[in-house]
Amino acid sequence: MPSFINVRTGWHVTDSQKTVMVVDDASLVRLYYRTALEGAGFRVEEALNGIEALEKLLSIPVDLLIVDVNMPQMDGFTFLDVLRQKTGPLASVPALVTSTESAEADFAAARNAGANYYLVKPIEPQTLVEFASMFCGIVR
Amino acid sequence: MTELPALTEEEFRRLCEYLYRRTGMVFTEAKRYYVERRVIERISATGSGSFASYFGRLRSDVQNEIELFVNAFTVNETYFYREEHQLECLTSDLLNQRVLDKRTGDALRIWSAPCSTGEEPYSLAIWLLENWPRVDEYEIEIIGSDIDTEVLELARAGIFGKRALMRLSPYLIGKYFESLSEESWRILQDLRDSVRFSPVNLVESAETRAHGQFDVIFCRNVLIYFDDAARRVAAENLYEALLPGGFICLGHTESMSRISPLFEVRRFPDAIVYQRPDGVARDR
Amino acid sequence: MPLIRKPAETRPPSKPDGSSVLKALASAHQEERWAAARAAAQVPGGVAALAAALRTEHDPRVREAMFSGLAGAGTPEGIQEIIAFLRSDNANLRTGALDALRAAAGAVHTVVPQLLHDADPDIRILSCELARSLPSVEAASLLCELIGREQQLNVCAAAIDVLAEVGSSDALPALAACAQRFRDAPFLAFAVRIAIDRIHSQSTLGRD
Repeated sequence: MPSFINVRTGWHVTDSQKTVMVVDDASLVRLYYRTALEGAGFRVEEALNGIEALEKLLSIPVDLLIVDVNMPQMDGFTFLDVLRQKTGPLASVPALVTSTESAEADFAAARNAGANYYLVKPIEPQTLVEFASMFCGIVR
Repeated sequence: MTELPALTEEEFRRLCEYLYRRTGMVFTEAKRYYVERRVIERISATGSGSFASYFGRLRSDVQNEIELFVNAFTVNETYFYREEHQLECLTSDLLNQRVLDKRTGDALRIWSAPCSTGEEPYSLAIWLLENWPRVDEYEIEIIGSDIDTEVLELARAGIFGKRALMRLSPYLIGKYFESLSEESWRILQDLRDSVRFSPVNLVESAETRAHGQFDVIFCRNVLIYFDDAARRVAAENLYEALLPGGFICLGHTESMSRISPLFEVRRFPDAIVYQRPDGVARDR
Repeated sequence: MPLIRKPAETRPPSKPDGSSVLKALASAHQEERWAAARAAAQVPGGVAALAAALRTEHDPRVREAMFSGLAGAGTPEGIQEIIAFLRSDNANLRTGALDALRAAAGAVHTVVPQLLHDADPDIRILSCELARSLPSVEAASLLCELIGREQQLNVCAAAIDVLAEVGSSDALPALAACAQRFRDAPFLAFAVRIAIDRIHSQSTLGRD
């Protein structure tokens, strides 16, 4: 298994480049996450809502989803619900849900939809990278 | 020599983000020159004093500006066998799925809406006759509909020029067309008799309902230009116009993610299409 | 020739009777509820019936048609019923409501100013997104006013995402003040910087 040090970040990469898909309808949020994740060596894909994410996932393999909740046409929970009902590896892609809501009911809703973790916005770049690395099996 | 005046980096970003949000189209750096050239053309054509002024006009879709702008990138001319991969998908996958629950002699209904001057529905007819081994097993009804009654008249007449036939082989032209002159051909009577042309406004449910329900609908390069209200109503009308399990194909730069959550996305080797659920729970 | 052409059928549009439409909103069959949802807004009492049915409807497609009915009714009552669902705990209902408002001709102009003053920050966030549907000048003006008084970071962030698209130099003072108010928030600083860059940047296209 290839293994090397990313000299910029000091991360010890134990596998080939991981792909993160950011699903959020705010273009500045997607840009912010992209900057942080690409800086840490991830490949980044984007989708503006759950429907676009589903379309892209049919042809692009992804290691982690970062999914916002409130998006037009298809919200994040509906998207995860649909995703988890698919057959094959697509159904179990790890998903980190992000939201401005911090009520207990929202954590429960995320868990029921099949999220693996839940982060309340705004999210610091360092936090995003740490969680993405954890879910993608990248060890420091 | 004067340089082509250019958009600033930030103006280009603003424009690209807006177009991505509105249509799903992605304009990369590689396409930048073409985007800028189109902006310049449209600024001039609309008498806008600046990019900012033009962008405001684009955002409000003044006089169909979105369609006028995007037209340059979608190659909107119509010709036979356009987007052939969707025709491939039709006979390789879609129809075979549709007939799983049909008996020999049952109806198969296909709608081309909008059909413009008829290239699309006639293409469907020719393609099926040439490429679907099971074409004789069912009663296939192809309907072409458009809001513009003038193009419907042209479609019924079935006369086409060189450009419309550019993707067809000499064999197919010889088989399905008669030459009227050096530059024009008419599709044979048999084919003209096998397609029905009818007016329809996709936003009017009374009009779409009058057409009944279909196994496959081709609705290319029109929904994405409707405003929010019209897009929503048209999507609902098209959903109703599909039989449960029926398929709808959009233009290759279009996506239901910008139009409606009613349909399920299905990926086939030749195309991504959308499907009305058939109400049967199954693993996908 | 396996391709056949049938003559157009002329069927007169059916006029469903009001009470059977409203009853069908609770049918056990999804297709009947869908058809009823599409017809209900034209029937007396339809708006209230649609709003009530939405509260218990689980099928997302029928919900979509119900929201369309409320939006298409073209009445302030219908719009207010949709707005009530913006407050729902259910994300699918919030999205459905927002999409319906966007598609309700003319409604956005009327409701956005009031919603940007709503006591609930989550409503203010959703309303910033709704403001995006307005013409540039109008949207920018409303959102500048908002960020001038807004104390919640996520609301400002939502407004700035839209201002990056619609803002003009009129927005610069409000953006600068906002950046100052939330100077410890890295995302907000980032968003303001982008918005300001885009506002400042002007090519000479169109000018002689």
